[in-house]
Amino acid sequence: MRRLVGVVAWFSAILFFAPVAWMVLTSLHSEPDAATNPPSLGAGLTLQGYEEFFGASTGQSPWPPLINSFSASIGSTIIVLLLAIPAAYALSIKKVEKWTDVMFFFLSTKMLPVVAGLLPIYLVAQFTGMLDNISFLVILYTSMNLPIAVWLMRSFLAEVPPEILEAASIDGAGLITTLRRVVAPIAMPGIAATALICFIFSWNELLFARVLTGVVAGTAPVFLTGFVTSQGLFLAKVCAAATVVSLPVLIAGFAAQDKLVQGLSLGAVK
Amino acid sequence: MAGLGVARAVGFVAPALLLVGVFLVFPALWTLYIGVTDYQLTGPAAAAPSAVGLDNFAAVLDDALFTNSLWLTALFVLGSAVVGQNALGFALAWLLRRVRPWLRRTTEGLVLLAWILPGPVVAYLWFAVLSRDGGTLGLLLDDPTTAWLVQYPMVSLVVFNVWRGTAFSMLLYTSALAAVPPSQLETARLVGANGWQAVRDVVFPHIRGHVLTNTLLISLWTANDFTPFLLTAGGPNHESEVLPVLIYRQALEGGRLGYASAMSSLLLVGNLVVALVYLRLLRRRA
Repeated sequence: MRRLVGVVAWFSAILFFAPVAWMVLTSLHSEPDAATNPPSLGAGLTLQGYEEFFGASTGQSPWPPLINSFSASIGSTIIVLLLAIPAAYALSIKKVEKWTDVMFFFLSTKMLPVVAGLLPIYLVAQFTGMLDNISFLVILYTSMNLPIAVWLMRSFLAEVPPEILEAASIDGAGLITTLRRVVAPIAMPGIAATALICFIFSWNELLFARVLTGVVAGTAPVFLTGFVTSQGLFLAKVCAAATVVSLPVLIAGFAAQDKLVQGLSLGAVK
Repeated sequence: MAGLGVARAVGFVAPALLLVGVFLVFPALWTLYIGVTDYQLTGPAAAAPSAVGLDNFAAVLDDALFTNSLWLTALFVLGSAVVGQNALGFALAWLLRRVRPWLRRTTEGLVLLAWILPGPVVAYLWFAVLSRDGGTLGLLLDDPTTAWLVQYPMVSLVVFNVWRGTAFSMLLYTSALAAVPPSQLETARLVGANGWQAVRDVVFPHIRGHVLTNTLLISLWTANDFTPFLLTAGGPNHESEVLPVLIYRQALEGGRLGYASAMSSLLLVGNLVVALVYLRLLRRRA
């Protein structure tokens, strides 16, 4: 029985992984090898696809959209943390009825269909002259990730035992000292995980980036969508592009795997 | 408590609330407003939209495309989220309890991949798998002439979304199952309950809250998901045009902003109703 379960585990792992494995393998093949069907597993590996993606022969650099994505994701994640940590702290130590309403308000905004906000937000961007401007995406992603960040962070902060907070208060520790010396060490892994989740969500956002940006502020997913359309015949090149665009979230995802599990499930239930 | 007065606590929460209010709640309300105007992307109504009352809503409800889309969205949510991701996620979590920790972590990590990869990347990969003449699935089944995304667009979308989203359910159920006391499962086994009976009578009562929360979240995410646009763009002939895709196309391709906003409003209300039903169910437990 145990063996059977192991086989099922392997099988599902492979099934989920297969498309990604194909992508990485194809990205490392030369174009003629990539085009063969079935995929030539044993073909020699080369970085040609990546060189082509980074503009070896066309001179077109994918760096501007990649840098835009980094700015939007990292910028918004930092602001999210600055706003969400105090909010989550206040919400986690106040056990008052009204505060659950505030929590529910945060949560409910996560249920709004993104497409419903598209038009008004476009109009706001147009009116303020912020179309095709990466700062606007930073603010937008910050607001979109705030609810989930507050929600996750509160569940991590709720793990700080109230007795310790009281003890700190009796010993005469002020708010800043309490936050820095007592709360932060316990909550730090959770905060890091929340940051990584926000980074992943911002990096992957496509709908708003597609509508609100153009030549200047286009992000990596928007760039990739265009790249697939224009270069679709060059499998190795497109797979290299897809791999590069995926790399940041893969790294963030693996760094956060355990805490991601804990955070999402705690946040979902408590 | 811990030196945090009411004023300070409000000060801590206010900036986050303000930003969320301005960028999430206000646009949603604005959408409701645009829904009662004849706002267009181009033409005279673009410069000076006028209020048309509930005309848009009446027209939307009468629109065969909307009814079609509503039905497809329900199918998409039921098939891929409520049944597909839920069942597969639970099954994986249940099975993975028994395998060695490193294998479990690896499987979880690989399933998670599908969940965290950017939409355009997964859409492209599935396009390659499902395309005609050279798609990997066609090769595996020795049937290269089937264009899956064209001939079976909804089935493809459902399978795709199960692949994409199962990770969340799996992770959530994994941690839920960890909270079920092993002694109770042992007792169930001793009195001769089979696997299914144990799940129904011992496990389910413990994880009911998780099941409800999970079902709510994945249903709403699926209903609001825009990724189908990247795979089929709603086609062929509206056969896979779920609501977010229909709204996007009506607004940006058709230029009928007021009309599309009325559809958005209906989607919004639909989401709220589902969320309220969920809250009631959850309260009943408490």
